[in-house]
Amino acid sequence: MVSPLHILVVGLGAAFFVGLLNHDARRTAFAITLAALAAMTLIAGSWAWAFLFGGATPFTILTAGAPPPFAINLGVAAPEAVLVALVCAVGLLSALTMRDALERFGHRAMAVFLVAVMALVGIILTRDVFNLFVFFELIAIATGGLVLISDDERAVAAGFKYLVASQVVSIAMLIGIIFVYHATASLNLDDMNGGSIGPVDSGPALAFFLLFIALVIELKPFPINGWALDVYQSAHPGFSALFSAGSSTAALWAVDKVIGIGGAPWLPMAAAIGLVTFVGSNLVALSQTDDRRLLGYSSVAQIGLVLTVIGLRDLIGERHLAVGGGILVTHAVAKAGLFWLSGLVASRDLAGWAVLRHRPILIFAFATFVAMLAGLPPFPGFYAKWELVHALAADGRLAFVAAILLGALFEAVYLFRWFGRAIKAPLPEENAAASRITGAVVVATALAGWAIGWTWGAASPYGNVMAATPLLVALAFPLLEWLPARVKNTLAILVLCLGFWVGYPHFDPLQMIFGAIILIGGAVIFIASFTFAQGRRIGFYPSAMLMYAGLTMLIVAPDTFSFFAAWEVLTVGSYFLILRGKESEPHALSYVVFSLGGAFAILAGFALAAQTTAPFALAALKQVAADHAPWVFLLLAVGFMTKTASLGLHIWLPGAHAEAETDVSPMVSGVLLKAGLFGLFMLVMHMGRQSLHGVELTYVMLWIGAGSALIGNVMAAFQEDAKRLLAYSSIGQMGYAVFGIALMNNLGWLMALMFVINHYIYKSSLFLSIGGVAKRTGTREMYRMGGLIKLMPLSFVAVLVSIIAMSGVPPLSGFGGRWIFYNAILDTDARLPMVVIFLSGPIAFLYLFRLIHTIFLGQLKDEHRRVSEAPVWLLVPQMMYVVFLLGFALFPGLALRRVDAFIGGFMPERGLDWEGTTITSAFGHWNPIAIMVVVGVIFVTLFLWLLFLEHRAQMVKQFNIAFAAERPHRPETTHFAWNFFAPYRRAVGVLAEPVFERFWGATTGALHDVAGFVRRLYTGDGQVYALQVVAFVVIVQLIAMGMRP
Amino acid sequence: MITISLFTGFLLVLAGLYGALTNRNILRMIVSFTIADAGVNLVLIAVGAMPGRKAPILDAAVPVAEAARRIIDPLPQALVLTAIVIGLGVTALMLAYAYRLHASRGSLDISKFTELKW
Amino acid sequence: MVKRATALLLMVALGLLFATIAFDHRPDTELNRTALYYAENTAKDIGAQNIVTAIVVTYRGLDTLGEVTVLFLTAAIVGLILAAGRPGERGSFPPSGELLHTGSRLLAPLILLAGVYVFVNGHLTPGGGFQGGAILASAALLLLLTDPLHRFGNRLIRLVESLSGVAYVVAGLFGLVLAGGFLDNRFLPLGEFGALFSAGGIPVIYTLIGLKVGAEFASMLSSLSRTEKH
Repeated sequence: MVSPLHILVVGLGAAFFVGLLNHDARRTAFAITLAALAAMTLIAGSWAWAFLFGGATPFTILTAGAPPPFAINLGVAAPEAVLVALVCAVGLLSALTMRDALERFGHRAMAVFLVAVMALVGIILTRDVFNLFVFFELIAIATGGLVLISDDERAVAAGFKYLVASQVVSIAMLIGIIFVYHATASLNLDDMNGGSIGPVDSGPALAFFLLFIALVIELKPFPINGWALDVYQSAHPGFSALFSAGSSTAALWAVDKVIGIGGAPWLPMAAAIGLVTFVGSNLVALSQTDDRRLLGYSSVAQIGLVLTVIGLRDLIGERHLAVGGGILVTHAVAKAGLFWLSGLVASRDLAGWAVLRHRPILIFAFATFVAMLAGLPPFPGFYAKWELVHALAADGRLAFVAAILLGALFEAVYLFRWFGRAIKAPLPEENAAASRITGAVVVATALAGWAIGWTWGAASPYGNVMAATPLLVALAFPLLEWLPARVKNTLAILVLCLGFWVGYPHFDPLQMIFGAIILIGGAVIFIASFTFAQGRRIGFYPSAMLMYAGLTMLIVAPDTFSFFAAWEVLTVGSYFLILRGKESEPHALSYVVFSLGGAFAILAGFALAAQTTAPFALAALKQVAADHAPWVFLLLAVGFMTKTASLGLHIWLPGAHAEAETDVSPMVSGVLLKAGLFGLFMLVMHMGRQSLHGVELTYVMLWIGAGSALIGNVMAAFQEDAKRLLAYSSIGQMGYAVFGIALMNNLGWLMALMFVINHYIYKSSLFLSIGGVAKRTGTREMYRMGGLIKLMPLSFVAVLVSIIAMSGVPPLSGFGGRWIFYNAILDTDARLPMVVIFLSGPIAFLYLFRLIHTIFLGQLKDEHRRVSEAPVWLLVPQMMYVVFLLGFALFPGLALRRVDAFIGGFMPERGLDWEGTTITSAFGHWNPIAIMVVVGVIFVTLFLWLLFLEHRAQMVKQFNIAFAAERPHRPETTHFAWNFFAPYRRAVGVLAEPVFERFWGATTGALHDVAGFVRRLYTGDGQVYALQVVAFVVIVQLIAMGMRP
Repeated sequence: MITISLFTGFLLVLAGLYGALTNRNILRMIVSFTIADAGVNLVLIAVGAMPGRKAPILDAAVPVAEAARRIIDPLPQALVLTAIVIGLGVTALMLAYAYRLHASRGSLDISKFTELKW
Repeated sequence: MVKRATALLLMVALGLLFATIAFDHRPDTELNRTALYYAENTAKDIGAQNIVTAIVVTYRGLDTLGEVTVLFLTAAIVGLILAAGRPGERGSFPPSGELLHTGSRLLAPLILLAGVYVFVNGHLTPGGGFQGGAILASAALLLLLTDPLHRFGNRLIRLVESLSGVAYVVAGLFGLVLAGGFLDNRFLPLGEFGALFSAGGIPVIYTLIGLKVGAEFASMLSSLSRTEKH
């Protein structure tokens, strides 16, 4: 193996040699540059490999033939090897993307580039503090040069601002170094480490402070980093990639090396600066519109988080390198990838990234990078986030946990908003300038990201998320994108069925119900997807399969880690799926933000529960210590209720479900919502009743369930848009289920499970039928429809059967649900919420009635005379649902008996008696078959009677303006079916007030205002930036003095 | 003597920084930074100085055998050489920048170069 | 005004910090561990009379390599910046006076000689590659002043600049292969203590540094001279 020293030698030698060449020999010069960078990467890579997989042991490289501290030495261990490999690889790839610019500026620019990479390696390897300074100065000067290799004329000013700031830094660093040398009689880091620098207000300690703060400023901490952000914004994206992934990485490692000189007293300072940077920078990024500046803010934030980890190293212990490294590596790969990608986008506007849609593989890369930065599985950042939050929670530093998760949420907001815009903005014409090499570099980087995810997972003590079979299967789908959609659709159905068949023997009854809905139910919905299976339908199958993979992993997860990983996977899969709708961008964003917020609550809950135990089995939630068990319960419940769209956390649902594609709506409504219910089930089964400050949390849940049922139903009744109506109705339905779970008795749970099954069936069926109608009529506004019964009879039947089932009237399965439900509430003494939930029952009739009445009955619109029945592939699953609804109505025991017995294991009281076709509770009995017969007879009788009376019907005009004094501006206001329930609105309209929308709207508005205000600090004046840097030094020092014990 | 150089060095640093933070003219800023750099170099030298000792050159005045008792700490002297050269490099670079900025805008006022902000 | 006040306030705060450091500073009375090592071992290990030179070229040779690289970088970037913003090409300058012209012809070779003397003797007397290189560059400055349009061998400068740089790295590698480590000066015999050809590779390396520094400065000066308006 070649000594890592030769990385420096090759870099420097090549730089000097390239300088020799003529300006005309730029191709040769570029070839030499690339060859040198490749050689450096190769040497570094071979050492990284040797340390990670070959069991190499750390070693020291002496220079000048004298031992340290008298001569400079380099130290090489696993972290150094990995970081050097990372820096070299980023350098190599950046050079590739900068080819045109480098050749235009000539051999001198290439020499500077080589020196920059070499110096980064030097910073990482050297064990000498003054040598560190020399390499930092090299970086500063090289940056000053490389910033200029840009098409942006503003880069000159940016470079100067950067130089001014680095002058201040180098003054502080030099003064610090010389006095620390005087105090320790050494310049060697290993020699100086040991924390013997003296009390924090002594001269040597202050000198160390200057050295330390100078290194921290190299990390561009918020809010004194305007000079760095300007560089990010105006430099060539290839250089920005190196600046973000390379410079910051090296500087972080330098901080980690140097902080030991001061020892433990300085760690909190690093942690605090890092945290402020992470949260503050992400907050300000919320109001950014320039892509590269946004990436700059994000870089700063990520580096801040790693600085926090360094500051917490006494807490996290040996694993701090793994945690910090996980965040750092993820950040470096993703940020470099995004900067390179920005080189392919001509517009600096976020929406300008839509141009990438011309090449779907670049969208795949974009999505990969966004997921990496957002800390989603299976990338290292995910493992790091998990471990970090656990370590903090175990130590009781909950404020840290909250701040970190808040910052991460801000970051998710702007990243996903950006991604959504790129996906949904109008497609611009293709960039003429888009380079193939850069494209290849980006794709290679994305693939490297996945490979790193795999490697990291394999080494993680928590297990490899990527190795989960469902995820592997889902990840195979992007590789199959070249297949026609029909083939992929068939494959998807087969895979889901196969998954059920394989999993079936291992499921307990609860998993069985959820598993059947996810896998079999999912497969049935996929039948409808044949309707849309034209062409290749790029992006649909990977997203859908990702969601199903997450759901499957969720129900089989044995421990908190795999549960949480599954939760994140299903969230991101469903986000991509929802985003596919035409108008769904803002709704998909609000979905993913609520979901990630919920996920963070879950993460915090799990971390609080686990303390130091890892892995932490879900069943062990039973044994959580009593003092924080209620908090665990609260956090988890809030997390799960974001997914069930419970009151207060529901505002994402209507838009997301209504605007989704026709076959996606049932997936995200019928199937996805059940993830939240599964979580709640898991929670109450393991943790039971919990009270916090004397308030029983399940009782609060009861209220939330009842409130959701009421508000969901009221809102549904006032909708004009049929899909929105269905979406609001889901909020109500989930409210019932949450209520049932919160009842904490046998029948309550049974009823919730019944809702799980029923809601899947009738909501999927309704979304498909309404989707079919909307497809044929070209509108979702109900008052524009009418009289479709004759043209779309099968859709009508499906809707009719579904709403009967849903309304809970006999004879269909909804009645069974109601029956169990009434029995269940008779078992408890929660009277008040019970009244609320009773109230919401009749309201459901209002909106269900409209589905039949306004859409299918009444007069046909002229423009709909030629409408034909819905496409056959939409009808097939609907008919299956109809058959199933009838069957489930007759024989509910088939599914529920075993579940009842299973629940009985958790509950003291008795469940139901299942004897033949009769079901008996403590309060009465229910024979589904007898009811079906009775209702059938009544129905037929009434139907015949109505037929007999039909000739008396009288035709009226629909847009009847006979009573209006003037021509209305909005003709629909005169339609009898518009604002159908106006009288009710007058009565209970207060319930339909968008209180929660206003609340969340005000919250986001306030955040953006704060961000807009804070960023005024970035005046753009280089002198002000320098002033801020000096002020930062002074203020941090004052705070440190004030805080000393 | 040592204390005087030390304080002079620090004063130069402060004066230089103050100048760099208050003069809007880019050339003046650069000059201010060179003053601060000079101050830093003086501090470096002062830290290496020891009362009553000689320069670390082993000629006739300082025999090898007595070196340990006769010479001052040579390391800061070596460091200051590096610091001077680096400071010079940065100064040259900033001057070139100043030229370029002036060529682009016809002004050397740093507050005029604020297109990038927020 | 606010800015001045703020700056003043910050300087006061910083001054207090510096004052604490300065008042806490106690000059050593004995050489510390590191310095003692240099005092005791330089003569026998490195063979240089000038201990600072031994440190600069050998013990902390990596720093010095970096330092040379700083100049290389600066020269390259200055060239880059000025090349990109260069105004219209050469015009005519008024000829320099007779006195300056003759004087520089006379002085330039002497200055060059002095520069070479300084860096060749760097291991024996105060001075060395950087100082010598700077003196070399002053000769270049003189030549520039006498004839602004005289591009004194751009190609020569570049050649010296690059070859001395590469040779420096190679000399470092000699140390790695033939002696104790990268930049070890003992790839050549130490020779007689105090003689011109002693201290192993130090004179060689310092000569290379001197040439390189001189070339870098000359290159920077030449780049800057091209910006002159007429």
